[in-house]
Amino acid sequence: MAIRINPTLIDELNSFGAEDVQLCYHCGDCSAVCQHSGEIFNFPRKSMRRLQMGLEQKIETTFEPWLCYYCGQCSTQCPREADPGESMMSLRRWLISRYDFTGIARQFFRSKLVEVLSIIGVAILTGLFLVIYGFSGGNLQIYDGEGAFLPSTFIHKFDLLIGSVMAIFLLINAIRMWYFTMIKGVDFNIPWWYWLKNIFTLPLHFFTQKRYAECESKNKSGIFMPWLIHLGLMLGYAIMLVLVMVYIEELQYGPDIIWKVHIFGYLASIGLIIGTVYFIRNRLIKSKYVQYKKSHDTDWVFVCLLFLIVLTGIAQHILHRTGIPYWANIIYVIHLMCVVPWLLRMPFSKWAHLVYRPLAMYFAAVYTDAKEKQEVISGSYAISVK
Amino acid sequence: MENCRIGVYICMCGTNIAKIIDAEAVKKSVSKLPHVELVETYKYMCSNPGQEMIIHHIKEHKLNRIVVAACSPNMHERTFRAALRKAGINQYLFEMANIREQCSWVHDDPKDATEKAIALTRAAIQRVELHDSLESLSVEMCPTSLVIGGGIAGMTAALELADAGHSVYLVEKNNHLGGNLARVDLTAPYLYSARDLLTERITRIKTIDHIHLHLNSKVTELTGFVGNFRAKIYEQNGKTDGNEKLTEVKIGNVVVCTGYKEFDASRITHYGYGKLPNVITSFELEKMIREGKIETKEGKIPKYVAIIHCVGSRSLEFHGYCSRVCCMTALKYAHEIKSANAKSYISDIYIDMHAFGKGHEDFYRRSSEAKTLFLMYEKNDRPVIRRAGPKDDCEMLIEVNEKLSGETIEIPADLIVLMVGMEAREDSAEVARLVNISQDKEGWFIESHPKLEPVATTTDGIFIAGTCVAPKDIPDTVAQARAAAARILAKISKGKIEVDAIYSEVDPDLCSGCRFCNKLCPFSAIEFDEKEVHSHVIAAMCKACGVCVAACPSSAIKGRHFTDSQVFAQIDGLMEVVHFAE
Repeated sequence: MAIRINPTLIDELNSFGAEDVQLCYHCGDCSAVCQHSGEIFNFPRKSMRRLQMGLEQKIETTFEPWLCYYCGQCSTQCPREADPGESMMSLRRWLISRYDFTGIARQFFRSKLVEVLSIIGVAILTGLFLVIYGFSGGNLQIYDGEGAFLPSTFIHKFDLLIGSVMAIFLLINAIRMWYFTMIKGVDFNIPWWYWLKNIFTLPLHFFTQKRYAECESKNKSGIFMPWLIHLGLMLGYAIMLVLVMVYIEELQYGPDIIWKVHIFGYLASIGLIIGTVYFIRNRLIKSKYVQYKKSHDTDWVFVCLLFLIVLTGIAQHILHRTGIPYWANIIYVIHLMCVVPWLLRMPFSKWAHLVYRPLAMYFAAVYTDAKEKQEVISGSYAISVK
Repeated sequence: MENCRIGVYICMCGTNIAKIIDAEAVKKSVSKLPHVELVETYKYMCSNPGQEMIIHHIKEHKLNRIVVAACSPNMHERTFRAALRKAGINQYLFEMANIREQCSWVHDDPKDATEKAIALTRAAIQRVELHDSLESLSVEMCPTSLVIGGGIAGMTAALELADAGHSVYLVEKNNHLGGNLARVDLTAPYLYSARDLLTERITRIKTIDHIHLHLNSKVTELTGFVGNFRAKIYEQNGKTDGNEKLTEVKIGNVVVCTGYKEFDASRITHYGYGKLPNVITSFELEKMIREGKIETKEGKIPKYVAIIHCVGSRSLEFHGYCSRVCCMTALKYAHEIKSANAKSYISDIYIDMHAFGKGHEDFYRRSSEAKTLFLMYEKNDRPVIRRAGPKDDCEMLIEVNEKLSGETIEIPADLIVLMVGMEAREDSAEVARLVNISQDKEGWFIESHPKLEPVATTTDGIFIAGTCVAPKDIPDTVAQARAAAARILAKISKGKIEVDAIYSEVDPDLCSGCRFCNKLCPFSAIEFDEKEVHSHVIAAMCKACGVCVAACPSSAIKGRHFTDSQVFAQIDGLMEVVHFAE
């Protein structure tokens, strides 16, 4: 059955950042140089072709773009400057918007204005709500305990509410990803125990991001800088998320420092601050690493907003511990005005990588097992298996 | 023959000959032969000292026959003939024995090779005794030329000749100049306007007095030989009034620039050309572009345009060759269509992208930058076009096995452009017969040598240029036209043409007038004299192939320099040694 091509897709992907994909003439250098490209998952060339031809169904049902960690080797090697690395990144943006059933992600990726305005809108609403709530029963001069402007018990409930909203969206999107890639995109049977057998890949890739390290070991970049910093930022974020969602009341309690909780907060903050500063710097100076040469609008929103969150978080903590509750409260409101849009934006933004990537690794492991079994049965591996 | 004094020279060619053949043994074997005055061996006979030695010996020893046992006559016969001329004796009193290509290079047994060298040298000695002094003919070169075809090639050749001050007859079949190029809008890859390329040429041709332009005309007859042709130009002015004119002109050389015709796209049935209204050929698109509106038959601006390459070219069924210009022209269309309507999407469906010329690769890249979608199909697995359904947002769908993705795909299209290839014109056989040149299996005219003589033909004085030889682009066509003109100018500047003294002669007393030879001669060099009832060889056209000599039932034809007695003497020389060896 012939598949209908869509010559207009290339224009759509342009707004997702794939600006040079039309230059590709399919020499295959990118796939040859890629650490992760192989027999079963072969990219980026194949993805470049599907993108040029606008084979939407084919792109939507593959998780291949998630298997790329954007080391940029392909873009360096490309004889046509078609930038396959950035094209894969653009495909991930497009896939995020496809998995998202609300259509919000699509709006954010396509329009800087929509994204920035909605962030500001949510921030103002959050600020108004918190200020009204604060003045209704609290005192701006008191940070914690009796009469606090924003009591930690209230913030805890507030965080859980926002977190749940985020989690629901994320869960639905992840299920859609599973449906697209593992149901629509697979034409053979996958035994259920393959799902069980490979479940360990989820935490493994989430906590180590070892594929990114593999990219870099080929790239021979000293002490694996981007991978290490990426990992630090990601783990810092995960720890902070747990602290805020579960231990917020211990975290906000003062003025003493509760080391068994705070030590995690400090470590996470170090990871976050180094990460955000590093990424902002690389994107600004367009550093030697190819992956930072091109920045989509959403990339800037991502790093800047995170940097602001980390900065205000640290500031309110210091002000609180040094006994300036008035300013600590004001900065805390600003901090939350950044956090809320950030959390609500997560399922619709680059930050969803956090979930989709380990999922894709998990799916890939299951798929590979099933595919190999399939090929043994159908005889295509007859010679090598014997 | 009684006072025959032969000098024999055995060349060692460095070690090329000497490493296998014992030159001294050859010398010893032939030095006692009758009439051999002296035998020398030397390292390089073709060198200046080698030639000087021959000249010196001719004068000192009063030698009147020379044999050089060395390489192939193709290589150095001219060199040694020149030495003979310099020494003041007839250049045909010379014979070469090929003891390199036919001996030392192909044999590895020194004894046998030396014996063979002796045999070849003896054969040459026996032959040279019977050589006659022959004189070359020299005929007048008429400085006027005839150019057939008024396209870019013909106009360029005519102007080149006219600019050198010579008269030219330019004969064009149509009522206007410009040929196929006049049907084109812009040219790839630099996007020069075809009109600009042509206008300057047409204007100049019309203003130069010594270019005699014949429009609506055909050359109906060409007789004679190089430097002395006569042509009849039949001119019909206007189709209905019957105002006809026959001009007979005298010319020295002819340039054939009859061009090509485009492949008939309706021959490929599953492209639906002629049935689907919006499947058009590249020339039809050119017409649209020149008229300034690219639209479908229904008058809509096409959103999806598909361009299919190699229509009639590079296929088993039609023509196996590449038409060379279509790839770049297709890229040009992508550029022009996109410029006319930025919202259109162009699919370029090709087998291979042949971007071989200057500036072509850059042009290809620019088309990629403009988001032309390149889709590759397998040779002989052609796309199939069908009408789209009512739900589709396009007029037609093209189904094809796309090679780079490995998918069978459907390409939406509102307008489909078929890049029709070039083929030889239907009247090319008639032209070939008229000027006595050959065609290959595809109908293109054959050049004298595909690499070293690309514009000359096997008939002296007839040159070919442009797309009547093979498909080519404008720069190559212009280069060929100028090359042909340069070849003619070189001949004209010499004033006369030397005709090699080696040609066939008919003895009129022996000729029975059977005319076998007339039909057999591959160069049309034999005329029949109706009054005297015997055949006659036109020396300037004869290539001395010997066909007529062998065929003549009355033995009335003699091949000069290849007489029966000379050939028999050579065979005798060979056989003596063969008996000896047994």
